[in-house]
Amino acid sequence: MSTLRDRVMLPLLGVILALAAWEATVLVYRLPVVVLPSPWNVARTLVDLIGTAPFWRNVAVSLYEFVAGYLLGGACGIATGLLIGEWRRFRAAATPVIESLRFIVPFAWIPLTILWFGTSAIGKILLVAYAVFFVMVVSTARSIALVEPTLSRVGTMLGMGRWAIAFRVHLRAAAPGIASAARAAAAIGWIAVVAAEYIGSSAGLGFMITNAAMSLATGVVIAGMIVIGLVGAGVSAAIHWLSRAWLDYR
Amino acid sequence: MTRSDTDTALDRNGDSAPHVDQATMHEAQSPGSPSGRRDELAFDRIRHHYVSGSRRIEVLDDVSFTVPEGTVACVVGPSGCGKSTLLSLAAGLARPAGGTVSWAGAPVRIGPNPHLGMAFQQPGLFPWMTVRNNVAIGLTTRGRSRQDARKIADEFLQTVGLADFRDAYPSQLSGGMAQRVGIARALALRPRLLLLDEPFAAVDAFTRLKLQQEFKLLLKLDRPTVVFVTHDVSEAILLGDVIVVMSQRPASVLRIIPVDREDRNRASPAYARKLAEALECLGVTSDAEPE
Repeated sequence: MSTLRDRVMLPLLGVILALAAWEATVLVYRLPVVVLPSPWNVARTLVDLIGTAPFWRNVAVSLYEFVAGYLLGGACGIATGLLIGEWRRFRAAATPVIESLRFIVPFAWIPLTILWFGTSAIGKILLVAYAVFFVMVVSTARSIALVEPTLSRVGTMLGMGRWAIAFRVHLRAAAPGIASAARAAAAIGWIAVVAAEYIGSSAGLGFMITNAAMSLATGVVIAGMIVIGLVGAGVSAAIHWLSRAWLDYR
Repeated sequence: MTRSDTDTALDRNGDSAPHVDQATMHEAQSPGSPSGRRDELAFDRIRHHYVSGSRRIEVLDDVSFTVPEGTVACVVGPSGCGKSTLLSLAAGLARPAGGTVSWAGAPVRIGPNPHLGMAFQQPGLFPWMTVRNNVAIGLTTRGRSRQDARKIADEFLQTVGLADFRDAYPSQLSGGMAQRVGIARALALRPRLLLLDEPFAAVDAFTRLKLQQEFKLLLKLDRPTVVFVTHDVSEAILLGDVIVVMSQRPASVLRIIPVDREDRNRASPAYARKLAEALECLGVTSDAEPE
């Protein structure tokens, strides 16, 4: 009984209270639809939106930019992190560059990406890749540094060479750390896509929202925000599910 | 796993050594292994140190001894005296600061040695692999087929009493069990040079006695050259052909004590004399040596 209450009733109560507060705000302050539409209004807008082709095109564009950038940045980040972990000289050369760039947040690059790539997808893809890259480099290098030293010695004892140990022992042993970083990177990458689309784009969810805001379709703005949240949660869950296969021994 | 499962695994141990003998004997004859091989391990005036912060800590100071082909040298000494370092040097995991380690007449190089099997103080099992794959992987990296490797792994897991745990992951094992898997992994390679770093340290007393007996039988099979680091002097007498007694750090060899067949009989006065001799070297009067 208590599980039903804790798992269903109480969360539901929280959601209902939040929606009620929203509805009450609209009623009490007599807010016009342009400023803040009611939850019911937003829900209807969302249902209408889901039935249109342009909406799905915008979702597809945002997801494409995200996935392409995520894979690019993730692959480069893991490869660079592995090199930093394995090769002392590379670490010495790469560390100052990475340390100085990684605190220039991705959003600081948005004006430059628009200047260089206009409103095309490439600018967004590179921005996501940039955001994901630094998360992955730092965490991959750190996870590899934390691998138990005995495992490397065991690798040598079993007849593995340096790079066999790097890939089959170090990278594999670092996989749990890399996988949890991959989830964090997904959240950051998704934020980067939306932010970039807000500022300069010709398609995508961020574009849809800024367009709606300019034509005072506030219902669409909020519905779009909800979709961004849902897609982000879906992406995070998908990456969690994909990385599970690598972590099942714990 | 229930208690009775473990019991049956141990019971089967009784006849597992001849079983291993039959199944793996024909493939054990590695090239150049029979007559005329000179699988001798020699430490010649070894000096070694490591750097901790700004301090240089001398570990080994002029260590020399030779382990002739097919014999077992048990190295005993105070903890932290550099016994493990000695094994690392012999395994090609580190280069000595001075002196040479040679194996089969040639200086040991950094990197893999195809004749080597080693069990480490920390078991060092790959946490993402099952127990069976942990034992099998050394065989596949050395070119055995996956199928063969699994079969051999199963045999050696049975020898160490862990046949029922072959599909478990290392996180599911106790410290002593993990250490036994580490031993099985080293033995399954059928190495010509076997280095063991306190392999039975985390194993309970009963299992330890069983493993010591199994181990002696397995050594008879292949007659590898063995360096066995232990802090247990009675274990050294039981398993060693010689006992190498090391001093405090920076360590040198205090004495090399030969062990005869008769010395291994724990009821004999010879055993007591050996024990007393080794302990006296170590500066203790009982074998309650801190480790």
